[in-house]
Amino acid sequence: MTDALRKHGRGLLVFAVAAYALPLLLAGNRYFAFIGGIALLHVVWTAGMSLLYGYAGLMPLMFAGIAGISAYAAVGLMAAGFAFWTALPVAALFAALVGVGLGLPALRLKGFYFTLCSLVIQTVITLAFVYFVNLTNGDTGISQIAPPAWFGGPLQGVGFDLVLATLAVGAMVALVLIVEAPFGRRLVAVREDDELAEMLGIDVVRQKLAAFFVGSLFAAVGGAFYAPYVGFVSPRSFDVLLSLNIWLMVAFGGRGTIWGAVVGTVLLAPLPFLLQDYYKVKDVIYGLLIIGVIVLLPGGILGGLGSRAAAGTGTQSPGLRRKEAA
Amino acid sequence: MTGRVPLFEAEGIVMRFGGVVALRKVSVTQFEGETLGMIGPNGSGKTTFVNVVTGHLAPQEGRVRVAGAEVTGFRPHRMAAAGITRTYQAVRVFRELTVADNIATATVDAPNRMDADEIAATLDWLQLGHRLAVPAGSLTLFEQRRLEILMRLVQRARLIMLDEPVGGLSATEVRAMLQVLGDLRRRTGLFVIEHAMKVIRELADSVVVMLAGEKLMQGTPAEILADKRVVDQYLGRAHA
Ligand SMILES: Nc1ncnc2c1ncn2[C@@H]1O[C@H](COP(=O)(O)OP(=O)(O)OP(=O)(O)O)[C@@H](O)[C@H]1O
Ligand SMILES: [Mg+2]
Repeated sequence: MTDALRKHGRGLLVFAVAAYALPLLLAGNRYFAFIGGIALLHVVWTAGMSLLYGYAGLMPLMFAGIAGISAYAAVGLMAAGFAFWTALPVAALFAALVGVGLGLPALRLKGFYFTLCSLVIQTVITLAFVYFVNLTNGDTGISQIAPPAWFGGPLQGVGFDLVLATLAVGAMVALVLIVEAPFGRRLVAVREDDELAEMLGIDVVRQKLAAFFVGSLFAAVGGAFYAPYVGFVSPRSFDVLLSLNIWLMVAFGGRGTIWGAVVGTVLLAPLPFLLQDYYKVKDVIYGLLIIGVIVLLPGGILGGLGSRAAAGTGTQSPGLRRKEAA
Repeated sequence: MTGRVPLFEAEGIVMRFGGVVALRKVSVTQFEGETLGMIGPNGSGKTTFVNVVTGHLAPQEGRVRVAGAEVTGFRPHRMAAAGITRTYQAVRVFRELTVADNIATATVDAPNRMDADEIAATLDWLQLGHRLAVPAGSLTLFEQRRLEILMRLVQRARLIMLDEPVGGLSATEVRAMLQVLGDLRRRTGLFVIEHAMKVIRELADSVVVMLAGEKLMQGTPAEILADKRVVDQYLGRAHA
């Protein structure tokens, strides 16, 4: 565990400094600060997607749906009188468990079939958001969601941004610890060749299930914070496009690299806001990006760098003793 | 031969794929301390038999026992935990991962794994120590086959089922591999599928001859080579 932190310590430190500096630097302009906060929130999501897609090799298109379930659950609990800080863990755990329950049939599938199945599940979740009007207010959505309480006052402005920075740093620390643990090694094995992994003693179904639960938790925690931060949720907030965007951020930055997802998030999360006035071309740009990544950059921006770096660490240490000790 | 403790017992195995019957009531027992060979023409069910014993396929009929306990239909990770493992006819390693990471992956869920010193010694023996940082996909075929064996050894597998271990190797490499396998059989139980009779003759204490999904006979290499049916059905063409 300390090994993992030592290995990625510098990266985490740089990221933490940047994450906390961002809200402070943008504090003068509430609109830009908000976009910065949204980007920090997306780091939590891409960290989860990175685990699922980058390491476990799953492309879960119901990722946004799980975030949405958590967001609606948190809003519902707050409406029922619970404090946000009570609603948060309950909603997140609930959504992650629902995610695993819904994902169960899909987890026995591989690659493309898993993705297809997850797309169907996402569609069903979105329909449920529209259909259960009593809980979700349907297409209209729920607005004026109250901010969480924070030392007697409401959490808003730079304060909320800094909480999101803490959340993003926490998510990255968690991702590093997970990926560097034996669990991370199992997931990579499952991604590379699940049949061989199974033959070598790895319980593939169980590992996928565990990865899916943990990844869903990232989705759900992000969703629960999204609701009070943006102040508005609707079925469109958590549709398949969000899943695709989060996936794109991971793929764009570099699949299977710790920092690739962050790079992808920083570059892509602000895009919808910056392109708000060009709403019509936004989807076209996203489409082109997706095609571009698949065709031109299958390893992502950091992908090439990542594999070179990995070869570099290999030469200096056989890696065996370190892993044995871990 | 020591004791006569069975490593695995397969009894009356029937494996069908739709209309194709790949195994027809095949019974094979391998004892500890003995190396078992399996020969047979293409499509006679050899790989399918290994798939059943190692948990890749669940047979329609019959049972598999390991150390006296029934394990029929267990998934491969549980067979690995029971010490029963295999290599593949087409070599199979994590091609994108380094040799070191391949080995580390083999030990991650192996409760009985070797310690670092033993792994280092085994690496030396298989002459892979200088290749640790290389992606397994860029190793030569012979090196990949050695890595496959190494990854089972670090788990301290009790039985390694090798599916055509010299397939695709050059004559020189086949000789080197024979040496490796000769040493290997002193370290762990070996089950070897081979078309190369040379390999079978040198390694196997007992040979199972398969023909069209059935076990034609079993005997020492000398016995099966003297059998007219074997010569007619199989060696007539494949003996080289
Ligand atoms: N997964 C499968 N699905 C359908 N048919 C299969 C499957 N696996 C094997 N078979 C069939 O079962 C029969 C036995 O195949 P198997 O691979 O066990 O033969 P083999 O003795 O290993 O042959 P070879 O020497 O060519 O490797 C063949 O007719 C093959 O086509
Ligand atoms: Mg075969």
